[in-house]
Amino acid sequence: MFASIPSAVLFGARGHRVTVEVHVAKGLPGFHVVGLPDESIRESRDRVRAAVMSAGVPWPDTKVTVNLAPSQQRKSGSGLDLAIAVGVMAASGRLPLDAVSGLAFIGELGLDGSIRPIPGVAPMAGVLADLDIVVPVANAHEAWVVSDSRVRPVAHLSELLAVCDERAPWPDHDVEVVGLDRRPDPDLGDVVGQPMARRALEIAAAGGHHCLFVGSPGSGKTMLAARLPGLLPALQRDEALEVTMIHSAAGVSLPPEGLVTRPPYRAPHHTSSEASIVGGGSHSLRPGEISIAHCGVLFMDELPEFNRKVMDTIRQPLEDGEVRVGRALQHTTIPSRFQLVAAMNPCPCGEGGRPGGCECGEAQVAKYSGRVSGPLLDRFDLRVRVDRPVVDDLLSGDRGESSAVVAQRVAIARARAIARQGVVNAGLSAADLDLFAPVSSEALTVLRDQMERGRLSGRGYHRIRRVARTIADLGVEATTTIDEPTIALALELRADVRPIGASRSAA
Amino acid sequence: MISAVERAHLAALAGFDHMTTQRLLSLCSGRSPVEAYAMASGAAPPSPPIAAGFRRFPELASRWRASAQTATPDDAAARCESLGVRIVVPGDPEWPPQLLDDPRRPAVLFMQGDAGALGRRRVGIVGTRNPTRRGAQIAARFGDELAAAGVCVVSGLALGVDGAAHRGALAAASAAPAAVVANGHGAPYPRRHRALWEQVAEAGVILSEWPPGTAPEPFRFPQRNRILAAVSELVIVVESRERGGSLITAREAAERGIDVFAVPGPIDQRSCVGTNSLLEDGATPVASTETILVALGLDNRRAGRRRFDARPRPVGDESVALDLCRGEPQHVESVARSERWDLARAAMALARLERAGWVAESGGWFERVDEYGDLV
Repeated sequence: MFASIPSAVLFGARGHRVTVEVHVAKGLPGFHVVGLPDESIRESRDRVRAAVMSAGVPWPDTKVTVNLAPSQQRKSGSGLDLAIAVGVMAASGRLPLDAVSGLAFIGELGLDGSIRPIPGVAPMAGVLADLDIVVPVANAHEAWVVSDSRVRPVAHLSELLAVCDERAPWPDHDVEVVGLDRRPDPDLGDVVGQPMARRALEIAAAGGHHCLFVGSPGSGKTMLAARLPGLLPALQRDEALEVTMIHSAAGVSLPPEGLVTRPPYRAPHHTSSEASIVGGGSHSLRPGEISIAHCGVLFMDELPEFNRKVMDTIRQPLEDGEVRVGRALQHTTIPSRFQLVAAMNPCPCGEGGRPGGCECGEAQVAKYSGRVSGPLLDRFDLRVRVDRPVVDDLLSGDRGESSAVVAQRVAIARARAIARQGVVNAGLSAADLDLFAPVSSEALTVLRDQMERGRLSGRGYHRIRRVARTIADLGVEATTTIDEPTIALALELRADVRPIGASRSAA
Repeated sequence: MISAVERAHLAALAGFDHMTTQRLLSLCSGRSPVEAYAMASGAAPPSPPIAAGFRRFPELASRWRASAQTATPDDAAARCESLGVRIVVPGDPEWPPQLLDDPRRPAVLFMQGDAGALGRRRVGIVGTRNPTRRGAQIAARFGDELAAAGVCVVSGLALGVDGAAHRGALAAASAAPAAVVANGHGAPYPRRHRALWEQVAEAGVILSEWPPGTAPEPFRFPQRNRILAAVSELVIVVESRERGGSLITAREAAERGIDVFAVPGPIDQRSCVGTNSLLEDGATPVASTETILVALGLDNRRAGRRRFDARPRPVGDESVALDLCRGEPQHVESVARSERWDLARAAMALARLERAGWVAESGGWFERVDEYGDLV
């Protein structure tokens, strides 16, 4: 007897449709899985056998062959358990074939026959849109949000048997909430004082500029970075779907409603491996942090402490908005359009901000700042010096503007940019800048002076103008030309990452 | 007076691995440098105290034997010769009289330039390598005004305060500064001060306890400071952090009965913590060179401003912002906060001041540039 059951596996952040073909025929009793299964799938034989027997179905004492088609592609993960079990029961005559036709099955089995959640159900459900999908209860909400097909949450194999035998209707599970209640984004109102850093954050949010905070320990770099997502607009429907797929694939807990609607915020530790940040690393090519931060914020604290290789490999995704990961025989691209926020100390002793503060030798400082590669530094439109908050501000108890207020201005500025040029200001090319960000003659004098004194490079010039464009967009009135105060402020948001001592050379 | 051959042996011996002032003095006590060299290189049996030293540090004998292979007296003499460095020992007319009966006098000095500088009145100016601009400008001003009064400015040619003091001193006509350095001649350290080093050797004198080729290892700096203090009549510490090397110079000076002067600074400025604590310990505060000239018993009637500010005074916002920068370093935020301006207005005022050369920016902090701003 033969049965063919549709299911899916995960590959990167995408689902791939897999047909589980089961053949049960006379021969020496045995259970074989072919079609490039990896270790995790070969293990499923024992789970499936135990689960089927726990559900009260005798295991066929004949030869059982399972083929996973298309068979040239390597498959991984425990999500095929359920499909294999259903296939075996159908092929051995325990389930009527027509009862399972038109159904796809996703889920891992427990030895007791329970059906357990797996990561990546959202993208898998996406490729099974023409069928009704049987999924673990805990995965039901994500399957619902990404596909229009009917989703059948099932908790145990015996429930499924009852439905197929027409002894019971589809169970009506109270779909439990997997995701923790997403806490609200931290509010900018918690940041006391620090008007410059707050302003920089607002500009970063409005222009989509990558942002580097340079400041002493305790100056609040991490606190500031965590407040950027709260200033960003909610995700568009298509972005939300994309992000939900990626989060599902990466096993990140989803919000109760299933769909990720707020920009994600990820802060990997600097000891993280290249694979965990960039993605890949297993047969299923799991999405890395840069993809989980897609449409959101990736925060790299202590930037110089990150592996140099990691810093180099994220440059390409920063440029392309997606990352291509692969093993020898398989590749996939995973979306990774994130806004990068990084933080570093000004020097190893951390006190290098204020004149006369630092005790590091020049060589030490050069070594520290030299760990951040130049090309990566180039991506930061905003490089903001952050100083410890002033005592008076800390004690005053005055809260700054809340995220909601700032987010309104950000939304207006973003709308202005999109209406003008179709992209946020961070995406403006040099040619676009001449068109969309003309500079007043006084402001041009300032820029020329900076360049003539060797304090502003060609790239720096474009960066300043992009940032200035965003500052102008954040103004009360829409302006076309960028004036001198705006340029002066933009220049202040371009801290030198070189140490203080080294920039003060002998006369 | 000792012979050229003996001087060459002394220079070679001073360049031995792990050589210290104490070891050099003990090697040379009561015997000629030629005999001492033979003893240290293993060619002659060591005297009982030297032998005891070898027993305490078993590696020393082998290290010195190895050193003798590379540092021969002929080489040492040739190197000094080619750099114009004189090997000076106690008893020579060039030997600074203050070092004759110093409790921790060096055994030999390597001298480049004109030792006549040390015949003038001598004021040591020292401080941190990373001062505020204010501190560096004060050092340059003191250097200039003292040198103009005929004083020999003594410093260490380090980055920061030391360098500014020497640049200031060199700005005065007929200045004859002196420098005491921690490494050997011929390889200026820090390298950024190569030109300054040459100018000081040209106009005045550079002293080192160690022969050409000695690396600037960290332990040599405190030792250098004792010589710097010993040859000065009084020492001014301009800015020093809590545990700065200039505090060692100040202590060495105090131990020798040499007056220590310190420039007061804001109490929460890290680079002024050391100088402020010196003041608490009884150092004399100094705010102008007049104080120093009076202390030296020199004519102070013509002391005072030597440089005049020809820059047109800024007006409006810039004038307000400049006044703020007069004290502690400011940044855009602090100016905006003090004046209740928005950030862009403060940024523009500071940027204009910076462009006009009234303030200098580093790492987002703005400091006032005075008439000595070009020397820091």
